[in-house]
Amino acid sequence: MNRRAFLEAASLTALASSPLARAAAPAVKPVRLGVIGAGSRGQEDMRQFLRVPGVTISAICDIYPPRYAQVNRLAGAEIPATASYTDLLSRHDVDAVLIASPVSCHAEHVIAAARSGRPILGEKALGFTVEDNQKIVDEVLRAKILFQIGHEYRYAPWVKEAVRRICRGDIGKPTHVEACWNRNGDWRRAVPSPDPGQKLEHLINWRLYRETSGGLGTELGSHHIDLANWIFGEQPESVLGTHSICIYHDGRTVGDNVQSVFQYSGGRRLTFSSLTDNAKSGNQLWVYGTEGSVQITIEDATFFYEKKRSNQPTADKPISKTIVERGVVTGASYSTAGEMPYRGPGERVETGPAGDPTLDSIRSFVEAVRGEHGIDADVHVGFRSGVACSVAHDAVFSGNRTPIPKYRDSASLA
Amino acid sequence: MLVLFSGVPAHARRTPSALTLYTFSHPAMATTFTLYLYSNHAARAAEVSNEVFEEIDRVEQLLSNYRDSSELSRINRNAAAGPVTTDAETMDFLVQAQHWSQVSDGAFDLTVGSLMKVWGFYRHQGHVPPPAELASIRTVTGWQNIELNAAERTVRFAAPSVELDPGGIGKGFAVDAAVRILRADQISAALLSAGSSTLYALGAPPHRSGWRIVVPGPLPSHSTLSTLTLRDSSLSSADCSQKNFVADGHQYCHIMDPHTLQPVEGRIQVSIADPSATASDALSNVLFVQSPQQSLRTLAAYAPHARALIVSGAANQVFCALFRWDAPIDPQHCPLLQRSSQNTPRKPSMP
Repeated sequence: MNRRAFLEAASLTALASSPLARAAAPAVKPVRLGVIGAGSRGQEDMRQFLRVPGVTISAICDIYPPRYAQVNRLAGAEIPATASYTDLLSRHDVDAVLIASPVSCHAEHVIAAARSGRPILGEKALGFTVEDNQKIVDEVLRAKILFQIGHEYRYAPWVKEAVRRICRGDIGKPTHVEACWNRNGDWRRAVPSPDPGQKLEHLINWRLYRETSGGLGTELGSHHIDLANWIFGEQPESVLGTHSICIYHDGRTVGDNVQSVFQYSGGRRLTFSSLTDNAKSGNQLWVYGTEGSVQITIEDATFFYEKKRSNQPTADKPISKTIVERGVVTGASYSTAGEMPYRGPGERVETGPAGDPTLDSIRSFVEAVRGEHGIDADVHVGFRSGVACSVAHDAVFSGNRTPIPKYRDSASLA
Repeated sequence: MLVLFSGVPAHARRTPSALTLYTFSHPAMATTFTLYLYSNHAARAAEVSNEVFEEIDRVEQLLSNYRDSSELSRINRNAAAGPVTTDAETMDFLVQAQHWSQVSDGAFDLTVGSLMKVWGFYRHQGHVPPPAELASIRTVTGWQNIELNAAERTVRFAAPSVELDPGGIGKGFAVDAAVRILRADQISAALLSAGSSTLYALGAPPHRSGWRIVVPGPLPSHSTLSTLTLRDSSLSSADCSQKNFVADGHQYCHIMDPHTLQPVEGRIQVSIADPSATASDALSNVLFVQSPQQSLRTLAAYAPHARALIVSGAANQVFCALFRWDAPIDPQHCPLLQRSSQNTPRKPSMP
């Protein structure tokens, strides 16, 4: 049997008695997906959707035709493609919509999809401008549709458990979040040549231009803002930021590094930094509380405790001479205290093998579409991080401390 | 085994056609990928290399059995309990792997995960396992334990504790994916190597008919065994020089015979050229595990367009089997030659 014949055999569901057919999954309610925006992130989302039983891709919309063949390969089938999102939304075989277009297009696409009455999974950030964020929430609420924002870390088991323990008080009162997402690369995509007028450059490398991109603070920092919002239980009140072009003087108009400080009530702070010329620290987030700290990464979460908490007698060990300090068991006569950073192990959050958070979030969305439960990362979650990104994007250019507005309930105002 | 690309200096070299050779490297899949790329713009070359290495990273995230978050690890965790729905690309990978398992009668086998672990190759802590431990994994090693439904994109294991290990095919699959990026970016000449395992020669350097590749002979001399010119073809090689351990004076190779559950003995090195890097990577394992006679039959039946060189024996008696391998062979390395019927007989000689 040659390879072609083998592939054909593997596709024959009629072979009910063969091992090939026995692997079939039980029947589930089908969910047919329409996709607006089939670039790199949209394709990754589609791969994850296809890992959920019962999901198929009905059609895609993208204005860059080379994406069509890429999606066909990804899906293993010929997927109808169009450059018009209205054509896509007029189809009768779309049960839910994935929107993974550039952030500056989100409002137009989400609002049109909401008016079609379908559930939406919208990639972050919610909207590009403050007004975009406001309009998206208005329309989603008016249409009474399911909307999930692409903050996948809300669905990561180790993140959920860490936040649960933080909210329970395991590190005392959380006061500061220090977050970074550092890479070593120019953030560019290859552009076909020739490219008269740099049209393809702006289409493909939209992340590099202020008119179409929120820069590193939005494209990378929105996840960290969302987690800080979750931990602090509110959106930030204001933001102070700065950025520069340090390495990549290639015509881009957003910074190749950015630093922002978000102020929350009660003097609490999120600081976010992103570099693109040094990846040492990677993507991580530290939550500092009065009695301990938590490091959250894309694969795990680890707790460390401050000395003053671990030295305090507890009800079950009132005079114990064994001290658990910063995750280390020590004797009473030895202390890891001092001004040196603690470099030892902490207490890792155990939630089993770390799966892919994007798959977890997409599976949850599909379950919500099937009516099995509601949405955790809903449009309000999206607004609270999205509006902070929008304001921070302007703040890094102005250098001014800038207030971040809350959602105005247009329906109740009317 | 180190397969060398030769013919231009390691540093960038300008050609009359204004194409310049750029070299980029990137760590992934426990090796270093190297991309040699001809372009007339340094920035363009850098952008393309970024895309290529991003694609390799993406495939590693898909297939790594060292990462809990990979798709392959998700399948390993869940497929014994019931059918796991996966994406089309992963299904394509599994179908290709299953194909080479089937046609090689299990000489290539994706289910060697547990076998690699009991021999200590998973964490570079090689040791000879006790017979009882080997016996315990007999039922979980075997490609027939993988049940695929390509139409439904589902995979299920017929036995508990089956573990897929992409080591014998994953780099080739990544190279094929990266070459698709190079083609989409309209690159006319590039060579991508995945460490010493698999490389792909795309197009040809300016004014050349292809990329000149040196296949070194067995250690310790490492002198040239053969030199071939590749164009739009992959080349995969396998030997034991980089992953092995010695116990009681005996060297154990990391390439396993899934039938015996033992490291392969008697094979020194193999190289195989094929249009598909996925195929050549898998077939390099097949050629290493099967006897040369079996290998030549497998190639004739299922990879008739491949070219292969198989070096077997011991230090004092080496013999080579060739399948359509028309490049000159150093007779010092191969005093005994066996050619398949597809081979045009020619006297061994150096260029």
